[in-house]
Amino acid sequence: MAEVSLQGEQRVFMTGNEVVAWAALAAKVDIMYGYPITPQNEIMHYWTRLAPKYGKRFLQTEDEISAGFTMLGGVMTGRKAFTATAGPGNVLMQESAVMAEMMRLPAVFVIQQRGGPSTATVIYAQQETTLTAFGGNGEGHRIVYSTSTHQELFDYTIKAFNAAWTYRFPTFVLGDGYQAKMREPLTIYDPGEKGLELVPTEPMVGENKPGKQFKYLRNTYNTEDELYEVVMDNQRDWDAMAPKVVEWSEKGCEDADIVLVTHGVVSRAALGAYDLLRAQGKKVGVFRPITIRPFPDKQLLAAVQKAKKLLVAESAYGQLLKLVQGALYGAPVEIVPVLRPGIGITTEELVEEYNKL
Amino acid sequence: MAKVVKIALAGEGGQGVQSIAEILAEAANEEGKNALYIPNFGVEQRGGVSIAYVQISDGAIGAPKFQRADILIPLSPRAVKRTKMHAGRETVYIYDNSLVQEAEVNDNIVGLQYNDVTPPCPAAGEPNPGSAPATSVTAPNKDLPQDMIAGDPKTCSFTAPGPGVNPADIPAEVKKVIAIPANDIAKEELHPRVFNIIILGAVIAATEVLPLDSIKKALETKLGDKFKANPALRDMNYKALERGYQTIKGAM
Repeated sequence: MAEVSLQGEQRVFMTGNEVVAWAALAAKVDIMYGYPITPQNEIMHYWTRLAPKYGKRFLQTEDEISAGFTMLGGVMTGRKAFTATAGPGNVLMQESAVMAEMMRLPAVFVIQQRGGPSTATVIYAQQETTLTAFGGNGEGHRIVYSTSTHQELFDYTIKAFNAAWTYRFPTFVLGDGYQAKMREPLTIYDPGEKGLELVPTEPMVGENKPGKQFKYLRNTYNTEDELYEVVMDNQRDWDAMAPKVVEWSEKGCEDADIVLVTHGVVSRAALGAYDLLRAQGKKVGVFRPITIRPFPDKQLLAAVQKAKKLLVAESAYGQLLKLVQGALYGAPVEIVPVLRPGIGITTEELVEEYNKL
Repeated sequence: MAKVVKIALAGEGGQGVQSIAEILAEAANEEGKNALYIPNFGVEQRGGVSIAYVQISDGAIGAPKFQRADILIPLSPRAVKRTKMHAGRETVYIYDNSLVQEAEVNDNIVGLQYNDVTPPCPAAGEPNPGSAPATSVTAPNKDLPQDMIAGDPKTCSFTAPGPGVNPADIPAEVKKVIAIPANDIAKEELHPRVFNIIILGAVIAATEVLPLDSIKKALETKLGDKFKANPALRDMNYKALERGYQTIKGAM
């Protein structure tokens, strides 16, 4: 294997887990906190291989609850920190994720979805979409990027740290077992060399310098009114942030009769189907939310103005569908769901589903 | 829209299908093409059949897995049965019709979740069977994490006279069926370890998306150190590659 470096741009061929470790390095992360679970194990493996060479650190904890909370501790002291997990581990990490929402801590979680519910499979699913966007006892005050290629996995992992430290909401990179384990080419780079600025970090506790405001981080409140104020403040910040971070991609929606709506790795099948169907002269379009949270509601509504039908396809039973239905409530377009929990969706299958319409 | 060549390889755990797929995809990447390789992994593989999906194209590649393969290569009687769903009218079907077959192993390693554990390396044995380490077929390769596989000698590939592929299991409606006695060739003419390299040569001949030299380069990258230490290994691997290539070229 050729030597990989972050100097200049370099085309590499690697697994998605390796991509995440390199992206964290490119984002100048200080430390990863983690607990092993398939299919994200290799993020930890590669990070622990890279870390000593670059003066970075790693802490393996006793479980995912503690990986999440130790990460929050790191973040409070100003360390750029992240963790990675999947499936049941993602469930356990929601407790620290909502603490990050409450305390406005810029924690970064990388999720490589596996089958659910419970232990289920170690392979693949999109069944953690709702969990990742709205998990925990809160209002979903977070950012969730759903990637579909290794290039995006690299780009959005870097972006996740910037978004987290800019807006001070926990930020998730939502991948899956396929993206974790497959190999494909991408270009890795040093963000600085590309003129991409990395948002600086700062300690939130333990600083008593003059001019530095003492911050009392709380997650416990005594009265309903007190809590209401805090949550509504966070909601207002989140609402103000949403239009700045929302991302989506669309193709061919201007004249499409039928629009395929997918997210994450399934979008690859949608793009494949789009190419095949357009080559046959079919008026088809694709729409893909890149941020699952905030969801591109307005953009989706605008994209399907001319469409008669939407084909919503996901490797879960209606998690993306609910977001789409929420965005399009009252719109006259018919929604046809293709729901395959815990199983991959191929280009051929989407073409077949299209032809059934 | 650029054509995407879809290749599915399947074999017994330890037969080396994942290494072939990886070398193939890496060679395609080095040639400047787009390549995508994904192993199937997970508890469903307890049966011991491991499948590798490779796609190569000059353009974008869609979903990581696919329904119908352009080239389907099942390398054991069980793999023939397991991969029926990937055979279609446009499929070139290559199977191993050797008298000697890969033994069926309920592989605990490939079978669970350690798909990143390397299958037996074609250079792990020595070309001269006399000098091969006595443990090479009964113990796990030394480069595998030993603590993870303690007490489980199933990570090495070994062959045994078997019933062979039942002709009734071969899908009828495919573009072309080609039989290659790769196990026999490896055992009788070369070395059992290069079985998967013969298959790699066969895949190159059948797909015609990559020059044979690109595979030689990829092998050099992967096994360069071992080749340097023992140049005879390089010759043997190249010979196996050529042998697989010529066998299919003659049949296409």
